[in-house]
Amino acid sequence: MAVTLFIIRKFGGAIATMLTVSVLVFLALEVNVADVAVKVLGQFSTADQRTAWLAANGYNDPVVLRYLRWLGAFVTGDWGTSTYYRTEIASLIPGRLAASGILAGGALLVIVPVGLIAGVLAGMKPGSLLDRLVSLVSILTTSIPDFASAVFLSAVFVFWLKWLPGASTMLSGFSLAEIILPVLVLALYSTGYLARVTRASMVDVMGTHYVRTARLKGASPARIVLRHALRNALITPVTVIMLQFPWLLSGVIVVEVFYAYKGFGTLLYDAALNSDIYLVEACAMISVLVVVTTQILSDLAYSWLNPRVSLVDAAMGRS
Amino acid sequence: MSKPILSVRNLSVSLPKGADRPYAVHNAGFDLHAGEILCIVGESGSGKSVLSSALMGAAPEGLAVTGGQVLLGETDLVPLRESQFRAIRGRDIAMIFQEPMASLNPALTVAAQIEEVFELHSDFDAAERARRARALVESMRLPNPDRILKSYPHQLSGGQCQRVVIAMALAMNPSVLIADEPTTALDVTTQAQVLKLVGELRDLHGHGIVFITHDFGVVADIADRVAVMRHGEIVEIGDAKQVLTAPRHDYTKALIAAVPSLTPHDRPVPADAAPVLTVQHLHHAYGSVSVLKDIELSLPPGRVVSIVGESGCGKSTLAKAMIRLIEAKGGRVEVAGTDILGLSSSDLRSKRRSIQMIFQDPFGSLNPRRRIGPMIARGARLAGASASEARSRTENLLEMVGLQKSAYWRKPGAFSGGQRQRVGVARALAMQPDVLIADESVSALDVSVQAQVLDLLRDLQQRLNLAIVFITHDLRVAAQISDEIVVMQKGEIVERGTAAQVLGAPQHPYTKTLLDAAPGRGTF
Amino acid sequence: MRKAILPYITNPVVVIGAVLSFGWLFVAIFAPLLAPYDPIKTIAPLMQPGAANPAGGIFVLGTDMLGRDILSRLIYGARTVVVFATLATLTAYLVGVTLGLIAGYWRGRVDAVLSYFANVVLSFPVLVLYIVIIVVIGSSPFNIVLAVTFGSAPAIFRIVRGITMDVASRDYVAAAVTQGERAWRIMVFDVLPNATGPLAVDFCLRLGYTAITIGTLGFLGLGLPPPTPDWGTMVNEGRAMAIAFPHLVIFPCIAISSLMLGLSLLADGLREVSDAQGRRT
Repeated sequence: MAVTLFIIRKFGGAIATMLTVSVLVFLALEVNVADVAVKVLGQFSTADQRTAWLAANGYNDPVVLRYLRWLGAFVTGDWGTSTYYRTEIASLIPGRLAASGILAGGALLVIVPVGLIAGVLAGMKPGSLLDRLVSLVSILTTSIPDFASAVFLSAVFVFWLKWLPGASTMLSGFSLAEIILPVLVLALYSTGYLARVTRASMVDVMGTHYVRTARLKGASPARIVLRHALRNALITPVTVIMLQFPWLLSGVIVVEVFYAYKGFGTLLYDAALNSDIYLVEACAMISVLVVVTTQILSDLAYSWLNPRVSLVDAAMGRS
Repeated sequence: MSKPILSVRNLSVSLPKGADRPYAVHNAGFDLHAGEILCIVGESGSGKSVLSSALMGAAPEGLAVTGGQVLLGETDLVPLRESQFRAIRGRDIAMIFQEPMASLNPALTVAAQIEEVFELHSDFDAAERARRARALVESMRLPNPDRILKSYPHQLSGGQCQRVVIAMALAMNPSVLIADEPTTALDVTTQAQVLKLVGELRDLHGHGIVFITHDFGVVADIADRVAVMRHGEIVEIGDAKQVLTAPRHDYTKALIAAVPSLTPHDRPVPADAAPVLTVQHLHHAYGSVSVLKDIELSLPPGRVVSIVGESGCGKSTLAKAMIRLIEAKGGRVEVAGTDILGLSSSDLRSKRRSIQMIFQDPFGSLNPRRRIGPMIARGARLAGASASEARSRTENLLEMVGLQKSAYWRKPGAFSGGQRQRVGVARALAMQPDVLIADESVSALDVSVQAQVLDLLRDLQQRLNLAIVFITHDLRVAAQISDEIVVMQKGEIVERGTAAQVLGAPQHPYTKTLLDAAPGRGTF
Repeated sequence: MRKAILPYITNPVVVIGAVLSFGWLFVAIFAPLLAPYDPIKTIAPLMQPGAANPAGGIFVLGTDMLGRDILSRLIYGARTVVVFATLATLTAYLVGVTLGLIAGYWRGRVDAVLSYFANVVLSFPVLVLYIVIIVVIGSSPFNIVLAVTFGSAPAIFRIVRGITMDVASRDYVAAAVTQGERAWRIMVFDVLPNATGPLAVDFCLRLGYTAITIGTLGFLGLGLPPPTPDWGTMVNEGRAMAIAFPHLVIFPCIAISSLMLGLSLLADGLREVSDAQGRRT
C-alpha cells in the first residue's frame, strides 16, 4: 500500500515534470519554424528549399499538433536524425550514455568512500587537527572549477610527471590509464562537497541529546559513533550522493570536452556547437530523466534510512 | 544516620571567559543517602543543570570542574579518566533528562536501546538481555510491553518515552539516579504519573535520587530534602518540610512566596455588563480531526477568563482562531459588536485594533532586528495615531509596563525574558484594544518573574477595564489571574464557572483529574 | 556597531576570504592602472613567463598565441568576471528573493505553482540548461546574464522560501499580522532582515558559482564573444597548445580558483561567526 502510493505519487510527479520540460524544450527549440529550417538545412540552403522542407515535414501545422506529434515520436523512441552525425539519434545515445556512465561510476567510487569517511572522521571531533585538515582540503576542492582542476591535474600528471595521457579518446579501445584523469577531475568537487555535508551532519548528531544519553549509559566513543551516530548522521549525505548526479552530468560535459572523451557530454556539446536541435532536444530530455530518476532514488534512500519517515511521508513530501 | 551513597564536597565548575560570572557552580556540597530524594531547586541560570551533569562527569563543553570532590561510596569521581568513568556510568550512577523524546536514538528500537545497557555493563546472553528489558518495561507500567519494545521512539508519546528512559537508567539498578527536570516537558497528568512511578521505584529499590527541578510544586510532592540554588551556589539545604514551610534564607522565602496559590484570589467578580467579546459555535478541524467543537464564550469588559487544559486540548487553536491567525471552519467571534471572522481581509486589517495578543515565548515574539520603541509605536500608528501621538503613547506605555524610557532605542537582545514580556504587553496595548488574548504568556518565565508579570497584567487590566482571555496550562496561574475559568478537553469546553467554583467545587471528572494532578497541591 | 563587526574582522577565515575576494575587486576597479599592456593588443606571440618584451619591459606571465600579454588579460578579465558575475547574481537574487518571499509567506496555491516551476528548472543539470539556453538565444553578454538569472533564481527562490516559512512562523510575525500590518511590510521589515545571515553566506557562494559558470561557458566556447578578456575563454583558446605552453591555461585557472576560494572562505567564515553568535544568545 505504502509502496504503491509512493510509486504513484513520485512517478506521477516525475511524469508531470518531464511533460513540462518537454513543452519548454519544444517551445524553446522548435517554435520558430524558420529557424528550425535554417538549422536543419544549413546556412546555405535557399528559401525555396526551406519552404519545401517545412511543408514536407509538417511544420505548417498548428504548434499544438506539432508538439503532440513530436512527443508521440519521442515517447515511442523515434528521436529523429542528427544533422551533425547524420545518424539516428536513438542509436547514438545509448553508447554515449554508457561511456559517461563509466566516468560517473568511477567518480562515485572515489566520491562516496572518500567523502563519507573524511566527513565522519572530521565531524567526530569538531575543531580537531583532522577536522581542520578535512575542512581545508574540501573547501579547496569545492572552489576549483572542473576545467581548472582538469588543467591543474593534467599539468602535474601529464606535463610534469608524464605518467598519464592528456587525452582520453579511447581510439584503441578502453584504456584504464586514459580514464584516470577524467574520473579524478569529476570526483574532486563532489568529494569535497560530500565530505563537508557529512561533517556538518556528524557534528549535529554528536551534539544531540541521544548521543549524550549513550555516553551517560557508559558507551565508548567508538560505540557511540558506530552504533548511535553513524546511521543518523548518514541520512543527509546519502541523499546528497543521489543528488550529485545532476552535478556530475554538468561536470561530465566539461571533463569530456577537455579530454576529448566520447561520451554523452561531448555529444550534447557537439550538438550545441553545431545547432543540431534534434540532438540537443534528445540530450536535454535524457539529462532531465536522469535527474528526476535520481531524485526518486534519493527519496527512497531517505525513507529507508530514517525510520521516522515512512514511504507514505516521502510520497507526500513530508519530512 | 547511615553513610551517604553520594557525597559532593566543595564542587566548583568554571564558566568560560566572558560569561556573566566566573563559576557555573561554586563550592556546592551535599550528601545523598540511599532511598532518599534530594531536590535541587532553582531558577534558570542557577547552575542546577550544570551541577547535575558535572556529577556524571559530563559538564557541557567549555565548562570544567575546577575543584571539589564527588564521592560515590568511597570513589572520588572528579579525577577519573573518561575511560574509567565509562564503567561507572549507567551501572552505579545513571541519569534521565528533560527531553525524553530527544534522549532516545530515533534510529534504534526501544528494545535495542534498553538492552544496550546490559551489553555494556553485564555479560548476560541475548535471551537474558531481552528478558530483562521486557521486565523493565513492564515494571514501568507501560501498556503492551511487546509493542513498546519493538517501537521506535517517535511512535511513543512523551510520557512513554520518559518511562523508557527511566527503564534504561534503572536497568543496572544503580545506587544513584540523577534526574534533570524529567517531568518539565510533560503534561500535568502525565507528570503526576511519572512522579508517582519515580517514588514507587525508589521505595522498591532504594536508589538515592538527585532530582533537579524549577517547580516547587514538584518539590513538595516528591522531595525528602531540598537544596536551593542561586547564581551557582547552594543557599539553603535542609529537610523538605522545613525548607518549604519555614525557609531560612531570604531567597528561598521569596521564591516560595512567588509560587502562585491554587486557592483562587478573593477579589469580587466584577458586575455583569454587556459583553465585549462573544464567541458562538466556533469550530475548527485539521483534515478530519476536529480540534475545536462548538465553542461558546462571552466576556464583559474588565473581566479575565482563563482557558485551561493540557497540550492538544485546543486552547491555543482557540486563541489563534479568535484573533484570526488561523481561519476557523465556522462560527462567530464578535468583538465590540463586529464579527471578526466575517470580515474580508482588507476590512479585517482595520478592525484588528480591537483584539490583540500577548505571546508565549519572550524570545520568539519580538523581532530581534527591530528597536523596541519604533516597534511599539508602529502598533499605535496602525491603530490610527499620528507619529507624535504614537511616540508619546509608546513612552507612556514603557513606563506603564515598568521599563525605562531609555529602552526606546534598544533592541530585544538587551532585555531579559521578563522585560521582553513587558515589551510584548506594551506592544499589544499600543493599539488600545478592547480584548487582550494572553497565550501562555507567563509559562516561559521563572516563578519570581512570573509573579511580577501577572501583577502587571492584573493591574493594567483593572486600570484600562480590559477583557482578557488568558490561555494557560497552569491551574495556579489561572487561580490567581482569573475571574472565570473555562476547562477544555479534546477541543470541547467541559466545565466553566467562576474561579472559586471551578477550583473549589469542580463538577467534571476531567477538572477533578487536573486538580488532583497539580503538583504540590497539599502544600501551596 | 563596532561590536557587531569585531567578530568578523578577527576571524582569520573571514579575513583571508575577504582579502582574496576584495583583492580581485580592487584589481577589477583599477585594471587600467595595474595592467602593464593593452589586453587586446598583439605584441609578441607565445612568449614564456618572465620573457623580455623586445620593446622594453617583461611579460610577467608570458603572452598568448595572438601575442597578447597574459597578465594584462587576466587583470582585465577580473573586470569581466566582477561585472558580469555580480550583475547576473544580483538579478537572480532580485527574482529569487521576491518570489521566495511571496511563496514562503502566502504558501498555498501561489507557492505550489512557483515551487513547481522552480523544480522543473532545477531538474536540468545546470550546464545542460545553460547550453540549451545559449543554443536558443545565442551568446552575448546580455544573454549570459539572462541565462544565469534563469538558472540560479530557482535555487535562491528555494532558500528564501524556506527561510521565509521559518521566520513567518515566529510569533513576532504573528504579532505584526494581528496588528493589521500589510503583508509586504511584514516581508520587508520582519522577514527579510532576519534572513540576511544565511543569505549573505549564500550570496558569496553563488557569486563564486556564477563566476565559475561564466568561466565554464567561456571554456566551452559558449561564453562572451572575443576579444573580451575572459578567464574561461583564455583557457579555451590556450587548450590546444597547453602541452607545450602550459602558462596559457594555468594562470587563468589559478585566477578563477583563487576568486572562488576567497568567496568560499568568506562564506564559510560568515557562517562560522553567525553560528557562534547564535549559540551565545
